Amino acid sequence: MSIQINQMKKNMFQSGKKPLLTLWYVFLIAVLALGAVAVGLRFSQGLATTHLTSAMPWGAWVAFYIYFVGMSAGAFLLSSLIHVFDMEHLEEVGRDATLVAIICMILALCFILLDLGHMERFWHSLWYWNFTSILSWEVRFYGLYILLLLAELYFALRHDLVLASRGEGLKATLAGILKLGSNDTSAEGQERDKRMLKILGSIGIPIAIFGVHGGTGVLFAVVKAQAYWNSALFPVVFVISALVSGTALLTALYVIRSRISGKEIDISLVKSLAGWMVLFLLIDVGLQFFEILIGAYGLEEQELATLAAIFASDFSWSYWGVQMGIGVLVPLILYFNPGTRRSPTAMMLAGIAVVIGILGVRFNIVVPALTVPVLKGLPSGYYYPTWVEWASSGGIIGLGLLLYTLAIRYLPIDVE
Amino acid sequence: MQKVTRRQLFDKLFLRAQAAERSEKKPKPRWAMVIDLKKCIGCDTCTVSCKAENRTPPGVTYNVVLTEEKGETPHVTLVHIPRPCMQCDRPPCAQVCPVKATYKLKNGITAIDYERCIGCRYCITACPYGARYFDFGESYVTEMLGYEEIQAPEYGVQRGKRQGQKAPQGTARKCHFCFHRLQRDEEPACVETCLGDARYFGDLNDPNSIVSKLAKSPRAFHLKEEMGTHPRVIYLK
Repeated sequence: MSIQINQMKKNMFQSGKKPLLTLWYVFLIAVLALGAVAVGLRFSQGLATTHLTSAMPWGAWVAFYIYFVGMSAGAFLLSSLIHVFDMEHLEEVGRDATLVAIICMILALCFILLDLGHMERFWHSLWYWNFTSILSWEVRFYGLYILLLLAELYFALRHDLVLASRGEGLKATLAGILKLGSNDTSAEGQERDKRMLKILGSIGIPIAIFGVHGGTGVLFAVVKAQAYWNSALFPVVFVISALVSGTALLTALYVIRSRISGKEIDISLVKSLAGWMVLFLLIDVGLQFFEILIGAYGLEEQELATLAAIFASDFSWSYWGVQMGIGVLVPLILYFNPGTRRSPTAMMLAGIAVVIGILGVRFNIVVPALTVPVLKGLPSGYYYPTWVEWASSGGIIGLGLLLYTLAIRYLPIDVE
Repeated sequence: MQKVTRRQLFDKLFLRAQAAERSEKKPKPRWAMVIDLKKCIGCDTCTVSCKAENRTPPGVTYNVVLTEEKGETPHVTLVHIPRPCMQCDRPPCAQVCPVKATYKLKNGITAIDYERCIGCRYCITACPYGARYFDFGESYVTEMLGYEEIQAPEYGVQRGKRQGQKAPQGTARKCHFCFHRLQRDEEPACVETCLGDARYFGDLNDPNSIVSKLAKSPRAFHLKEEMGTHPRVIYLK
């Protein structure tokens, strides 16, 4: 579906005709409207609108939540690496990465909010602090991280916002508000922004690695009741797969947006991004192999049952097909095949394939482990999302696409 | 020797007696349950009486009886393991709860604050005994007239009608050793109704209580001891 959307988007913008842009907005509004209906049902009837049960307490929304936290952390780490280590050849995607990181984080929080049995009590998670609860820590890290991302985006855009505010129209008015009173366009000002970005990036990297996404991995890893999750390698794999999805998304976005705006594509940039993506992907697959090997080697019943649920059950297509096929095999072939490796389109497709594949990874983390009963004789979990879960998820993703479309239209995201 | 008046002596003795009386006051109980698997016949009376007592909705079953078949035909035995909440002394559910809605009471019961729980269900994934349930708001009203008219006074709180999406709907729920029955000096419903008299309930702080004695039996064990949860439900092999 994501491929179709992106293809549609590409075709529409390429021709540069207004009606096609309108069509894109109409499509987004349709997705959002359907999502709103689903969310409305979820509000009025509670979690009974899902296929969740007490045996299967977490499902699609939690999978999407860790998916977007990962995507955000990955995109942010990439942008921070660019700022901190002065990787100038990648600077072109730096702002895009920060923007994507913010939007993904907003989506992640929407998903987890929707998943709460009592949404109106969300503030309890900030007010009451259980020191031993990883989730309690995570909520705080997410807040800190979003503030940091906003600050980073501000300093990345400040100079261009000041310039943009001098024009006329909606874009200028918006820039005038967002520049937060700054009018400095001097070279020193730009130097200062760069320094701030370096400082924020240096603070942000450990927060993103250990706090935000490593921490989300720890959230699962500490659960000793679920043998499959309960491994110290789990948070590490979380961070690596975050980098995979973050670089993949940015590779795809860069190519798509260059096509739409008709800008010349920097082949070396695309190759460099795709190279990082494939490197992270290979490390990710290697670590996952260790995790499965060590888990299986212990011959512990619950662990073996979970592995069986992943590899050989009604839903193992999501492992072999989505996670390994689309998420690993396709991008590797596209990257290593001499015929396709120089084509930006192929690299874009590889990026999209990885982005879809990682969604499979996230589902395969949450769902199979919970289908295995913790005591013999308890009911097994069986889960696939209802249309309410899918439509609301689609709506939230549509919200993200809308925010992104508006942001690149009205904010100086592109480096001139 | 110091001279002591009769009055002073009386006061001293009296005060001492008072102090003695005070110290004689029993320490607060630490509740525990013993389940003798040799006496359990797997009749599920505990499950049913628990549902009746706590008026739990569909999908929420504080107590279940797990039945395991051991051996191969014709040498087969059935082992029944009733599973309430273990009321662990080191409960993983309370460890992971982001808002401290689940916590240990002084009497050893692991309680849920229905007014605080946000319904994230982290505790349900974290319980090694599958003893936690989520109240999805389902109802027996089609099978049972007036099901929603009154809720059980769990944790000693009158909860009135079951309506809207009011808690405990949308929160985690589990066995609480019939806290509200303990408050009026009654045993938990499952203990009282057990056909085979397989369940014992009492105070671990009292060395002479039957649960204290049975806990020392060589037949005594806990479920998943390796988890380090220190359960308060003791099984007898």
